[in-house]
Amino acid sequence: MKKIRFAAIYIRSYETGIKIYELSGKQRMRELNSVVAHLELGTDAFTKEKVGQDMIDKLCKTLNDFKEFMKEYDVEEYRVCATSALREVVNTRILLDQIKIKTGFDVEILSNSEQRFIGYKSIASKWDDFNEVIKKGTAIIDVGGGSIQISLFDKDSLITTQNIKLGSLRIRETLSALENRSGHYGQYIEELINTETYHLKKFYLKDRNIKNLIVTGEFITSLIDLSDSNEINKSASFEEYMKIFDKIASLTPREAAKKLGVPPENARLILPFAIIYKQFLQVTEAERIWAPDRDLGDGIAYDYAEKNGYKSQHNFEDDIIASAKHMAKRYQSGKNHINTMEDIAMKLFDATKKVHGFGGRERLLLRIAVILCDCGKYISSVHSQQCSYQIVMATEIIGLSHAEREIVANIIRFSGEEFLYFEEFSKVTSLNVRDYLVIAKLTACLRTVLALDRSYRRKCKNVTFAVKEKELMITVISNDDIALEREKVNENIAFFQENFGITMSMKQKKSI
Amino acid sequence: MEKDVSNPSFFTNRELSWIQFNERILEEAKDKENPLFERMKFLSITSSNLDEFFMVRVASLKDMIHAEYEKRDIAGMTAKEQLIAVNEKTHNFVKEQYHTYNKMLLPELSAEKLRIIKSHEELNEEQIKFVDGFFADNVYPVVTPMAVDSSRPFPLIRNKTLNIGALLSKKGGKEELEFATVQVPAVIPRIIPLPDRADGSKNVILLEQVIERNIDKLFLSYDIVCAFPYRIMRNADLSIDEDEAEDLLKEIEQKLKKRQWGQAIRLEVEEDVDKRLLNILKKELGIKEEDIFMIPGPLDLTFLMKMYGMEGFEHLKCSKYIPQPIPGLNEEENLFEQIKKGDILLHHPYETFDPVVDFIKQAARDKDTLAIKQTLYRVSGNSPIIAALAQAAENGKQVSVLVELKARFDEENNIGWAKMLEKAGCHVIYGLVGLKTHSKITLVVRREEDGIRRYVHLGTGNYNDATAKLYTDMGILTCAEHIGADATAVFNMLSGYSEPKSWNALTLAPLWLRDKFMQLIKREQDFALEGKEARIIAKMNSLCDKGIIEALYQASAAGVKIDLIVRGICCLKVGIPGISENIRVRSLVGNFLEHSRIFYFYNYGNEEIYMASADWMPRNLDRRVEILFPVEDEKLKQEVKHIVDIQLADTMKARLLKEDGFYHRVDRRGKTLLCAQDYFCKEAKERVMKEKNLENKRIFVTEEPSRE
Repeated sequence: MKKIRFAAIYIRSYETGIKIYELSGKQRMRELNSVVAHLELGTDAFTKEKVGQDMIDKLCKTLNDFKEFMKEYDVEEYRVCATSALREVVNTRILLDQIKIKTGFDVEILSNSEQRFIGYKSIASKWDDFNEVIKKGTAIIDVGGGSIQISLFDKDSLITTQNIKLGSLRIRETLSALENRSGHYGQYIEELINTETYHLKKFYLKDRNIKNLIVTGEFITSLIDLSDSNEINKSASFEEYMKIFDKIASLTPREAAKKLGVPPENARLILPFAIIYKQFLQVTEAERIWAPDRDLGDGIAYDYAEKNGYKSQHNFEDDIIASAKHMAKRYQSGKNHINTMEDIAMKLFDATKKVHGFGGRERLLLRIAVILCDCGKYISSVHSQQCSYQIVMATEIIGLSHAEREIVANIIRFSGEEFLYFEEFSKVTSLNVRDYLVIAKLTACLRTVLALDRSYRRKCKNVTFAVKEKELMITVISNDDIALEREKVNENIAFFQENFGITMSMKQKKSI
Repeated sequence: MEKDVSNPSFFTNRELSWIQFNERILEEAKDKENPLFERMKFLSITSSNLDEFFMVRVASLKDMIHAEYEKRDIAGMTAKEQLIAVNEKTHNFVKEQYHTYNKMLLPELSAEKLRIIKSHEELNEEQIKFVDGFFADNVYPVVTPMAVDSSRPFPLIRNKTLNIGALLSKKGGKEELEFATVQVPAVIPRIIPLPDRADGSKNVILLEQVIERNIDKLFLSYDIVCAFPYRIMRNADLSIDEDEAEDLLKEIEQKLKKRQWGQAIRLEVEEDVDKRLLNILKKELGIKEEDIFMIPGPLDLTFLMKMYGMEGFEHLKCSKYIPQPIPGLNEEENLFEQIKKGDILLHHPYETFDPVVDFIKQAARDKDTLAIKQTLYRVSGNSPIIAALAQAAENGKQVSVLVELKARFDEENNIGWAKMLEKAGCHVIYGLVGLKTHSKITLVVRREEDGIRRYVHLGTGNYNDATAKLYTDMGILTCAEHIGADATAVFNMLSGYSEPKSWNALTLAPLWLRDKFMQLIKREQDFALEGKEARIIAKMNSLCDKGIIEALYQASAAGVKIDLIVRGICCLKVGIPGISENIRVRSLVGNFLEHSRIFYFYNYGNEEIYMASADWMPRNLDRRVEILFPVEDEKLKQEVKHIVDIQLADTMKARLLKEDGFYHRVDRRGKTLLCAQDYFCKEAKERVMKEKNLENKRIFVTEEPSRE
């Protein structure tokens, strides 16, 4: 396989960096250069909701410098991603245009879940201990300048993820008036975090036996290195971390920076970060804190590598499905019903591959839609699809981009509501035509699947699909009366045909 | 238990130690074992050294006194106390210089039929004719005589220039004396060869004597009462030394006093100067009695360096040494291919500097090279390295060069070629605010078949092909991945970006180097405390860092055997009971300027050897960007160890620092005579010969007759 140099550029709220990798066929990602500029875009973004001209100029200068770094290694492919600092401002589009004109870079704004998933991927794929650690109850916190993401694992699958809009920089800016005036600065930070973690604890953490807390974020590696007993690599016990914390909290920011061996310009972020780690350690009651030392740059590069022919050890699709199932469970959807529908849906999708022309990603989206389509019943059985739509739109599913989540939500919504044609649909969404067509076809699929378990009694679990000429043959082997299902399927024929260009028919075979 | 090793009496004042260093050079000028012209050169060096010492160090002391700066130095002396001591020592030193010049060198030169005419009164008829003609043709048009009277104030006498002061009286006028001065023009060589004598001897006269003789022609309507050369040194622009800078500038700011810019701090006059003339100079320059040096001979002995270049005396000079090729390195094969086979050690000037220049030259032309990055501190006038960098940029390589503009006395020169590099398309970084970049590192990034490979040169001396023939320095060429990654990080930092999360092999000042040295010394101390063998050998130019010296004292007290090879300043004292009895200090002063920095730690058998651009001085450890790099290849480690061992075995040019605080020659009884520098010259030649023989052998092997 051809060697290729890839650059990952990330624009975060408190720093902008570049990582240059050499990727080769031998599953090897070799880091060639890593450069970080301390640029606090978040200071503007989180307080004024705009990034000032001065900051943008600095950012463009940095990006132009990065371009030189890329030339040094003859970088062929790159990706420039920005997180909350550019995501949360009101002038995002204008800023992106300025950056494009001044640097030539097209900056992608990552949605929170994309960003987190990328970060998570880098941990899971590059960190050898990962699969071992997550066998026990594990939480990952990814702490940035703008927000914190907490993700929970249950038996080596990711089951839920929550975003808390409190990052180190945001905390510092919120409390900036108190930073120098009060001796209780640390206490205020703790209180701020506590209000946010209260609900998290109540809803998500209470029955989980969390043993390990994996942390990605600034300074964590240096903090853990201060531990007297580094018996296990890159980790510290609860007690050790508390000791380290007390040590750091007693120092001035400058002293702390020196102690940690980090550049002094970052000094004022040390305490907010250290407190966040401490609070989450306490709230999760984890026994051990881990620092796999991965950052967004690693993640972006990994993501690229994976999409260009790498295989990962950890199956991320399973994580997405597991967290969707966990969500379904929270909203008390029937497990057996879901399993049956999943099975039917996958058979249908695979059998109609030639007709819809979709790949693995769409298959996953259909599966997620099937799993989540009953969530809304928890709230109302009358407008259940509308409720499901709302729930999906409001719940982060790590591993799905914002657009993908919207696709899933719409598939569910249209499975029970009148379908909208693109002209009308596009008035209320930013999804594009391609996304729309995915929604349309997968909606047709989901409607068919729902029809086949209309009675919720899994009468059609032995079903096979086959496309013959211009018809989809649905064969159900069952001794039950499937009249209700048949009727529902028939109702759906027109919509199916409209989207797939073929009709469908259903027949029953009785087993002996 | 840690001992209290901070007592000021355990340390030597650095200025006084520096004067001792200059005395060691002066000893070389006196040493009859050295060829006569080499001795002249050594004397010239003591003179230029002393000038710099005054401009930088003495000026600093004066500033401190002026600012009422009370802080005591490492040896517990105030600035005032230091200045008094320095004054006494420098006056004595100058006496010794001229004793050497008058009583030793002049007679011996004379015996070799080379005469320096002391004064124009000694010229014969024929010579007078020549000299006067020379004056009329060459000197008269370029000199500017300046008289002083009520309407013409005392002119500005420029720093370090040679001048002639004269007392005049108006022809036919009253007794009243007027002062006049004329600068000896710098555009005319100071040494003027006279026509050869009948006995075949060569005669030269100094320019100031020629002017003195003809001075009446400059002041036509006056009678010349007397005329004498004089020279002043000023507290000029560059005179705050970086070692004091931070503290001192703060102090001055607090006291809101301005520095005495341009204040004269030294006046040199011929010893038989007319007292009236001297008084005028004294008054006008505002110079103190103790800052006047009465010189029994020509002022400013640096002209001897020019004398050295005189043709026809080759038998009185050391034969010129030609740096040898590096064994195992050939010119035909691509240098990068050769580095790939293993790290390459370079020992200049015994071995040639060419591979370093070629490294950049080849990279500039090489199609696979993507980028070249280099730090430049002082480069030679017509540097092939600069040319290669410019060419690389023109060839489309990414070229980044950090140019240190703050290199002492070199600023203007540096700005010139930095601009040239920029024009060629290089990315030029003009140093870091508040830090001098003293490290010597070059990184070449190549795109090779099996991926990116980084080649690094690390050195102890500047990228200067001219001084590389005179300074002993060491360097390494490597393509080890972990060093390449560190080198990349070094340049990231130098371009103003953040430091890496961790370093693989390199240690940088000012952030980490001090701690690293302290750890290395402490580790030996710990071994010694456990009763294990412990040893440190360190070679450097100067040792005056209090923290390091204290650590060495602790280590010595714990039983670590320490050998220091320190060329210049050494504030450490040996033989302090219970403290430094295990420390030996030696200084090497030879034809080449000792310049390499090598640090050896026994590490209980896992020997670690490092080289660096840094001395153990506060400025190197705290205020400069410096790099310490390990020698990792086992073969190269042995080679460096061998080099250090030879220097420790030197009995010819080495001086040992003894308990009495003085440097003594090695007691040669029962020891082989060994001059390390000569040894390395010889060894380098032999290695090349050996290699050639091997090649030849290979060529001349004849085929065995077959047995069939």
